[in-house]
Amino acid sequence: MSTTQPAAPGLLNRMFPNGFDPLAILLQGRAFFALIVIVIVFSLLSPNYFNVSNLLQMSQHVAVYAILAIGMLLVILNGGIDLSVGATLGLSGVVAGWLMQGVKIPELGVAFYPSVWVVVILALATGAFVGLINGILISKFRVAPFVATLGMLYVVRGVALLITNGLTYPNLSGDPEFGNEGFDWLGFNNLFGVPIGVIIMIVIAIGASLLLNKAPFGRWLYASGGNERAAELSGIPVKRVKVRVYVLSGICASIAGVIIASELTSANPTSGQNFELTAIAAVVIGGASLAGGRGTVRGTLLGAFVIGFLSDGLVIVGVSEYWQMIFNGAVIVLAVLLNAITYKPKQRLATPSAPATPPTSDRAPDTGVGAAAGKIAG
Amino acid sequence: MFRKAAAALAVGVTIVALTGCSTGTDSGGSDAGSGEAGGLITVIVNDLANPYWTAEADTAAAEAESLGYESKIGSHNGDSKKESDLVDTAITNKSVAVILDPADANGSIGAVKKLVAADIPVFLVNAEINEEGLAQSQLVANNAQGAALGAAAWVEAVGPAGEYVELTGRPADNNAATRSNGFASVISQYPDLKLVGSEVANWDQKEGNEKMQSLLAAHPNIVGVIAGNDPMALGAIAALKAAGKLDQIKVGGFDGAPDAAQAITDGSLQYTVLQPVVDFTKSAVQQADSYIRTGETGVDEEKQSFDCILINKDNVASYGNFSIE
Repeated sequence: MSTTQPAAPGLLNRMFPNGFDPLAILLQGRAFFALIVIVIVFSLLSPNYFNVSNLLQMSQHVAVYAILAIGMLLVILNGGIDLSVGATLGLSGVVAGWLMQGVKIPELGVAFYPSVWVVVILALATGAFVGLINGILISKFRVAPFVATLGMLYVVRGVALLITNGLTYPNLSGDPEFGNEGFDWLGFNNLFGVPIGVIIMIVIAIGASLLLNKAPFGRWLYASGGNERAAELSGIPVKRVKVRVYVLSGICASIAGVIIASELTSANPTSGQNFELTAIAAVVIGGASLAGGRGTVRGTLLGAFVIGFLSDGLVIVGVSEYWQMIFNGAVIVLAVLLNAITYKPKQRLATPSAPATPPTSDRAPDTGVGAAAGKIAG
Repeated sequence: MFRKAAAALAVGVTIVALTGCSTGTDSGGSDAGSGEAGGLITVIVNDLANPYWTAEADTAAAEAESLGYESKIGSHNGDSKKESDLVDTAITNKSVAVILDPADANGSIGAVKKLVAADIPVFLVNAEINEEGLAQSQLVANNAQGAALGAAAWVEAVGPAGEYVELTGRPADNNAATRSNGFASVISQYPDLKLVGSEVANWDQKEGNEKMQSLLAAHPNIVGVIAGNDPMALGAIAALKAAGKLDQIKVGGFDGAPDAAQAITDGSLQYTVLQPVVDFTKSAVQQADSYIRTGETGVDEEKQSFDCILINKDNVASYGNFSIE
């Protein structure tokens, strides 16, 4: 594989077989470089920023958003969007809280105190159920994803508020008498010094990455996101993929909800408000295309870390909350701009060599040439 | 191949660098009674868009700085998760004390426990938590007394008979129920005053406006509106003005905000109940300072309540930002 290398043969040529283009490298790894810049800047601004304890703590803050963002990535890869994840997060926490208070049946005079793992499974099932409704609305009834999930956002939030009547469920640590202790283990414990939430995030990230890169489901997902009609015609069960993707997003949301309820040992029905926007921002900053078919788990994780480290850094330095909002918004807009530059077909930036596939469709301006092979490699 | 090696190398270097760096932060607070003022006091309030909480934050910061401390302000907007994250940051920043307005009487207990575990003294203002023995002091306005005061003034303005509606605050805040019960205890002594509608407006002006419009549509013949705080009352006034009914329907508020005082002066609001937020916030910072220097807050009880003052047409002239001469 040779390119015209006039003056610097050998090492440079072997390291960068497609040609050494610093701008291209910067753009491709933009989320990573942004993260490095943020860490450097805040370390200089505050002595409290760059140490293991703070980095682990910021990672714990990021973990919840990262889990949401991975679920959101799956949906966005499919060309859809899920605005209901924040509400699902709240509802799952409330369901967990409700079960921890004990299910009382006055007519029979009994009260059930399900053990903690049952509570967690039922909370996850709640998320899966909401996702199932979303999936069916979107695939079978062909409601636009934006509209369907927006409607579900209000329905789910209303259900959570109805269950608790606006109050929060306190005291989720459980009672040894009833055998349901241990709910706060998720939020408060560390494994080898790493918070459990972070470990769960890593496990989900690995799982999602394997799903996207190794499993047939992953190929179906990228294909149906890139061009749904073509995917359907080549035999991919597009509707099934859609439903599954929303169910997975719902489950991710409920995992996040259980983690938050565990950290706070209380279940708040308004928990998770506007979290969906942060999840979408993380996915976008990580380089995914909102039109579908393009994006990676690694990018999404980096996007979540960029947002989280930036926000926490601004709080540590003591910047006013309103400046924080401006910074976060600016970062998102910048990320979308850079996405647009990367994906423009005429600017052939250095992508791993792949046979150029014909343009898949005319519908989205940022569906570029030769994109699929490069991005699937993740 | 190179890319993978480079990535692995970068991660490896980062890990080595991190372990080389300082591990762990010291517990943030100085030991109680270490004798010296100085250090960071973190102030965490609810919603800086509400003048009440802005006054709370600014008073705390100014008082802290006048006593020789630095201060940082954060706001959690009623979200316990955000409050928990801000508390984490206060610990990371090695605060010597935290002045906190808790988001949720139950949900904030975890955050306070985190500070106690990190040896940082906590002083709660404006709202309480449902557990004693964690914070050094809890300074609140006497909401029950204030509510009774306000309801008496409201009955005087409205008269002994008629239908009325109520706008209540965020349910997870104990103050919402305290004020509502306080109003009811006074108004129920007048059997001809009937409550025909009550809506939750979450302490917010916009919500107060919207709920007032709906209540008015459902009950056009009410004679009065009693609101749990000033922003909700002002929202209701805007709705009544738009419907042209401000003359027949009397409105009451609670907080003592500057724009409420303005509304009393021009007659659209009948009264408000001033919470001595400037006084109790200053007192909280002074108790924090005393605790840091001597190990004692200087006050015997943990829960301290400060009486409220009624503000109406008669005394509004001597009103200044959340305080009265």
